[in-house]
Amino acid sequence: MTATKAWTVGCVVLASLVILALSLGAQGWGWGDGGSLLLLRTPRVLAALAAGLALGIGGAAQQGVFRNPLADPGLTGVFGGALFGIAVLLGLFPDAAWHRAWFIPAAAFGGALGTSTLLALFGSGGSPSRLLLTGLGLNAFTAAGTLVIASRSGESRELLTNGAYGDWLGMATFELTWLPALLCLSAALLLLPLARSLDLMSFGEDAARGFGCDVVGSRRKAVLLTAMAAAAATCLVGQVAFIGLLAPHLARTLAGPRHAKVLPLSALLGAILLLGADTIGRGLWPQAPLSAAAVTAVIGAPLFIWIARGRHE
Amino acid sequence: MSDALINALGLGIELAGRRIIDGVSLSADRGQTIAVVGPNGAGKTTLLRALAGLLPSEGELEVAGYDPRVIDAKTCAQTRAYCAQKPVSAWNYRVSDLGNIVGEPAGFADWLEKLHLGEFADRRLSELSGGEQKGAHLAMTFAALAEPFDGAMLLDEPAAALDLGRQEAVRQAIRFFAQAGAACVIATHDLSFAKQCDTVIVLSEGRLIAAGEPTSTLTPEIISEVWGAAASPSR
Repeated sequence: MTATKAWTVGCVVLASLVILALSLGAQGWGWGDGGSLLLLRTPRVLAALAAGLALGIGGAAQQGVFRNPLADPGLTGVFGGALFGIAVLLGLFPDAAWHRAWFIPAAAFGGALGTSTLLALFGSGGSPSRLLLTGLGLNAFTAAGTLVIASRSGESRELLTNGAYGDWLGMATFELTWLPALLCLSAALLLLPLARSLDLMSFGEDAARGFGCDVVGSRRKAVLLTAMAAAAATCLVGQVAFIGLLAPHLARTLAGPRHAKVLPLSALLGAILLLGADTIGRGLWPQAPLSAAAVTAVIGAPLFIWIARGRHE
Repeated sequence: MSDALINALGLGIELAGRRIIDGVSLSADRGQTIAVVGPNGAGKTTLLRALAGLLPSEGELEVAGYDPRVIDAKTCAQTRAYCAQKPVSAWNYRVSDLGNIVGEPAGFADWLEKLHLGEFADRRLSELSGGEQKGAHLAMTFAALAEPFDGAMLLDEPAAALDLGRQEAVRQAIRFFAQAGAACVIATHDLSFAKQCDTVIVLSEGRLIAAGEPTSTLTPEIISEVWGAAASPSR
């Protein structure tokens, strides 16, 4: 399939999904009297679109930086770091956390950047498994930290537990959504110009620098923006793995590995996957929706094993 | 420092506590071709990386008027071309993608033809042999240069694992750049190719053993000392 065909089909699928997601809910089909249900569902759909877009492009960028198709901010501890940042804020300042719209995203960004930096310091270079093992360690640490804080903070306990299960889309409102969604979009747009550097860096640091690529600067930008995308997405949906793995993998299969194509297509596919997963979770069990994270894990986990096995062989 | 395009004085490099390059000096004028030879582990690749400004090193270094260790990557790439020994991409690009990546698809296609690799343009990198992949990367390196290029050309084993026809095409390309005024420094195991260069630098265990014209550097005595008795420049 050419990139143009993939874009056309992707846009049609996304548009259909948006209409389906806006029409479907616990209250049944339709948009309600005077579009009341439509107004209620729109923030959730917008949140899923923005977070999916950020997850997809963030995964593609992280895979490009680490030259590793198994990298995914959900698996390498970056989302875990974002949630841990939110947990620390809610644990230390439970009342102040909601006073400003940017407090929660800033805490998430701090946590995501912290784990991204540790990942870059200890996980890059060497074998591909080193990255994943470092990410595994970071994930375990941040998950434990989040659970410890959740267990000690009565009010935030349910909130943080839902975040750990990627189940925050249900509480999306316009007030909670607009800033993280804007940050998701900004991170995605700022990642696009790094496409050529990521292509050059795929040949190794020496080769890339030989072609005049500012490897250190590009890597720093990509890590920062991936952390920003992960943090903003976490604020919207909680912790979701596998979208950042699935979307770039599909994008490369459909349009080839050049990052000029992979980055935007991963964003589109990420939005489709997350909105699709949320819609499936709501559509199949309207009264007790399954979280988007659970649905993506059902599809993503086998794919992860398949890619890992392919690489090994 | 002299007026030469490449000037290195007393280069020293230590990696992981081991002295890889020890007090090596060299200079290259415009249009000159220099072969850097030596056994495995002699420091050829490390010396080329140092000349390209990719490694921190002791000593004085000037390439086309700049110290490549301190200038920005973009300016550096305008003054020197560097082709690594085994550049392997993490992604399975089509060969023709490489031209788009360096922003010169037409120039890349042209160089691919000149290196007798035009037939591979639509193939994936994984479908190419190691030598063919290296050839495609050389085409990428050459296509990225503004013509006429008269900077430093640093090539690490450019013709290794290529068949004879493509090896000759690579040599012609090097001669083309040398005639345009570039100073070409080539790390190679191929002593018959080294004999065709203006100057040969023989390295062993990071030290300069000999430097000068091929007739004075690739002597049976030096070859025997550095490689052992079995090696011969006519192989």
